[in-house]
Amino acid sequence: MSRRSFLRGCAAFGGVSALAASLAPLRELGDYTNTDQFLQKYYKELTSSDMTKVIARIESEVERQYGIRPHVRDLKPMDGVEFVYALNLTRCIGCRKCVHACVKENNQSRSPEIQYIRVLKMPHGSMDVEKGNHNYDSKQVPEKGFFYMPIQCQQCKNPPCVKVCPVNATWQEKDGITVIDYDWCIGCRYCEAACPYWARRFNFTKPQIPKDRINPDMSYLGNRPRKQGVMEKCHFCIQRTRVGKYPACLEACPVGARKFGNILDPNSEVSYILREKRVFIQLKEEMGTSPRFFYYFDK
Amino acid sequence: MEKIDHPDQKKSDNAANYWLSGITAGFLALGIFFVVNSKVNVVARLEIPQVDKKFLDNSPWRQTYADLVKSKEDLSDYDCYSCHDKVKPPLIRYDKNQKIIIPKEHANIEMSHGTHERNNLCYNCHNEQNLNTLQARDGNVVKFDNIPQLCGSCHGPAFRDWEAGAHGRTSGYWDRQLGDINRLSCANCHNPHAPRIPTRESAPGPHTYREATNYENTKSVH
Repeated sequence: MSRRSFLRGCAAFGGVSALAASLAPLRELGDYTNTDQFLQKYYKELTSSDMTKVIARIESEVERQYGIRPHVRDLKPMDGVEFVYALNLTRCIGCRKCVHACVKENNQSRSPEIQYIRVLKMPHGSMDVEKGNHNYDSKQVPEKGFFYMPIQCQQCKNPPCVKVCPVNATWQEKDGITVIDYDWCIGCRYCEAACPYWARRFNFTKPQIPKDRINPDMSYLGNRPRKQGVMEKCHFCIQRTRVGKYPACLEACPVGARKFGNILDPNSEVSYILREKRVFIQLKEEMGTSPRFFYYFDK
Repeated sequence: MEKIDHPDQKKSDNAANYWLSGITAGFLALGIFFVVNSKVNVVARLEIPQVDKKFLDNSPWRQTYADLVKSKEDLSDYDCYSCHDKVKPPLIRYDKNQKIIIPKEHANIEMSHGTHERNNLCYNCHNEQNLNTLQARDGNVVKFDNIPQLCGSCHGPAFRDWEAGAHGRTSGYWDRQLGDINRLSCANCHNPHAPRIPTRESAPGPHTYREATNYENTKSVH
């Protein structure tokens, strides 16, 4: 073997091994994508037999990653139903129980921690959200001189996030819930920038959820575990509300400040509230987003 | 023809060899570095403590008489005539500032009802004639397990809202055709003797801020 061919061989070997090493992170890709998922069609184009296969894939993937067999459903909007949320600012004490009930219900990543609901601590006498502080760390709430305003996805009637999505991965369903197809999202975060309510969250890394905190009752557009690089946000607990139940944040609220229901039903709680109560229109009304989330007062 | 090695030619061959071996060594080192790095030197993610289970507890703050009946608890505490005289209703005593003096047998009761704690006459709600029942403002006798009717006799707007579902905690089904709504009663949240809801600890907020403040050991600005 001549000196030249030896050196060439070494160079070639070194180059190939460096290339292989640099591609090594791709092996971890198998954790959150595979061929079936890569070739999967858009949610609205999936036939029911496609959906059965997709759900089987999601169930086995969740079982492999988290060790729990989930029950995944594809729930469709109900007829004659339009959801509206009403939140009583007189009652809210800022205890943040809704925040953590939401995390628990919707399988958000615990590390890094993703929270859909932000509770703003606001000084009395102002509705300016710029004066709010969501990082308050109070031993005792409510504090004197402040009121608390939880903000989450407002499920707008005219949602700016839907308009900016370049791949139509997010859209408004007929019951008023704006949903995301996590398998169609490309993670460009345009919607996050477009949302005036800071409601959308991005999975910067692979979400991590301890096995004992997984909620096995899942839905395709709702709380199935997300992967790295996709957006997520509040979806009014689709897996609960589309089977007639109240959302998790409502049930957790210890002071009953949260009310939810069908605005098309004149006998529902939210109809009563919008009819009888002093309702502070909608947050950032001037944006023209027309939220389905209302804040109201008792007195 | 005689082959003559040009001295300059030889020099440049040597230089190329040095370069080549240098690059080879570099590549090999990089390759080893990458392989080792991908295995060993994984950047550890910050461990975020799990939220305390007490913040995930959705059970009501208080238990009402109706709850106790339902769960078949010991109700002997609610038999007032095991201590009190049936014929003679107990006297209520006040100090100089018109504050009620709570007898030591009822030391667990904290009286703080109404503006300036003015609603401090026991018989405003308890029935003087039969201590095992309650009495509403309109004189109607109310059983212990039917509190909303009693509270509603003074707190009309709150009672109206509660009946419509706009006041108080609910759980279960918004769609009444698919399931039942579970509506908590007044005393599940309010202590009838001190109805104002006490302050409590707030659950942890967004972790990013907590991390940042922990790192730099700075106090929050707000």
